[in-house]
Amino acid sequence: MIYADNAATTRISDRALEKMMPFLREQYGNASSQYSLGAKAKRAIEKSRKQFAEAIGAEPSEIIFTSGGSEANSWLLQCIANIYCNEPIHIITSAIEHHSVLNACHALKQSGVEISVLPVDNLGRVSIQNIKAAINSKTRLVSIMLANNEIGTIQPIEEIARLLQDKDILFHTDAVQAVGHIPVDVKSLNVDFLTASAHKFNGAKGTGILYKRSEVELPPLVFGGQQEHGLRAGTENVAGIVAAGYAIEESVSEMGERANLLRSMVKKTVKGIKEIISCVRINGDCYNQLPGTLNLSFDNISGASLMHLLDLKGVCVSTSSACNAGKDEPSHVLIALGLSEQQANSAIRISYGKYNTLEEVEYIVNAINSAYIKIKSAL
Amino acid sequence: MKGKICYVCGKENLSKNEIGLHKKLLNKDARTFYCLDCLAEHLEVETEFLLIKIEEFKEQDCKLF
Repeated sequence: MIYADNAATTRISDRALEKMMPFLREQYGNASSQYSLGAKAKRAIEKSRKQFAEAIGAEPSEIIFTSGGSEANSWLLQCIANIYCNEPIHIITSAIEHHSVLNACHALKQSGVEISVLPVDNLGRVSIQNIKAAINSKTRLVSIMLANNEIGTIQPIEEIARLLQDKDILFHTDAVQAVGHIPVDVKSLNVDFLTASAHKFNGAKGTGILYKRSEVELPPLVFGGQQEHGLRAGTENVAGIVAAGYAIEESVSEMGERANLLRSMVKKTVKGIKEIISCVRINGDCYNQLPGTLNLSFDNISGASLMHLLDLKGVCVSTSSACNAGKDEPSHVLIALGLSEQQANSAIRISYGKYNTLEEVEYIVNAINSAYIKIKSAL
Repeated sequence: MKGKICYVCGKENLSKNEIGLHKKLLNKDARTFYCLDCLAEHLEVETEFLLIKIEEFKEQDCKLF
C-alpha cells in the first residue's frame, strides 16, 4: 500500500509510538493520582506541554490538550460567544475553513451571533481588504485558518494580525494542517488562539492542542477536576499527549529537509501527470502552500472514480477533506475558489508525508495516468 | 423489460452490483456497462477483488448497490 493522504491523517512516528507505549502498559497511572505512578504520568504530560510550547514559540502554561483539532476549534468559537453572552457580537471567518469552524459558526448564527463568511480568491487566499471591510463595532473574533486542508494554501496570518492589532478583536487561527509542516511561531503570527492536531504531524489520534495567549481568559469546556488548568476536566490521554510531544519535536527538527523533499515529490507528480494528461488543473497557490499537498482537477472525469481506481492499485489519496469524504457534494473549498461543480467533483488531493519516497511518487504518477486513461476510455 | 447487457462480452441481465460498480468506478452517469469479469479485465484486477470492493461499498451505505 502507498499512503498519500497525509492531510487526512499520518502514520505515527516510530519514536512517538515507542515513547507512548509505556503509558499504555507499565506506566498507566492517572496523572491526578498522588502516588509515584500518577506523578510520572503528570510529569510526562508536562514534558509534552513544554515540547509543544517550544515548537510554536509559546509558554507551556499557554498549551491546553484536547481530544483533537475539531474539539479545540468548536470549543473556542462557543467560548467566545459565551464570554459575550449579554451583547450582540460579530465573528469573521472564511469560506474555506474546516467544517469544525464553519459548522460551529453556523450553530452560533442560529443563536443570534452575526457571522461574516468571507470569500477567497482563485488561489484560496483571504483578502486583507475584505477583512478590514467586514469589521464592525460588534466584531469580537476573526478565525482564519493558517493553511487549508484541501489545497494547502497558506493565509497571510501575520498581516491579518497587524490589521487587528489595535482593535478589541481576538484572533484565532486553525493551524491543524500547518503545525509540524511549516514553521509556526505564535509570537510572530501574533494570534490569541491557535489550534493543532497531533495525528496530522505523526502523533497519535485523539490529541489536539489549543494555544491560548496567557492574557486571554476562557470559560471551561468540561467541568470537573483541575486538569488542563481547570479548563478541560477529565482524565488525560497521557499516552496520546506523550506521543504528541515527541512527534512535534521530531517534526520540527526534520522540517527543513522534509519540506524540500516533499516539494520535490509534488513537483515530480505534477510533471509526470502533465506528460500524459494535458487537461489537469492545479488548485491552490503553488507559490505559497504546504510543501506536501497537491490538489488536482481533471477534465470530465470523476475524482471519486479516480480515487477508487487508485485504491484498487493500492494507492490512498482523497477526493476532498477526510471529514467530508463520502458525501456526494462538491468540496466547499473548491467551489469557493470559483471552480464549477464539475471541476470540483473531478478533483483529488494527494498529500505526501514523512514516510513517502520518490519511488512511491513514480508509482503514483503511473497509477494516476493509467486510471485516467481507463476512465476516459470507458466514457 | 430486458435487463442491461455487458457492452464488451454481451452478457445479459447485469446485476445491480455490476451496474453499481461500473458507475462507482468509472462513470456515475453511465448508460452502458461492463459485466464484473470484463470490468476486472479492463481495470487489470482480479474479479474476486472487485467482489470484496462491492462489499466495502455496501458497508459504506453506497446507494449504488
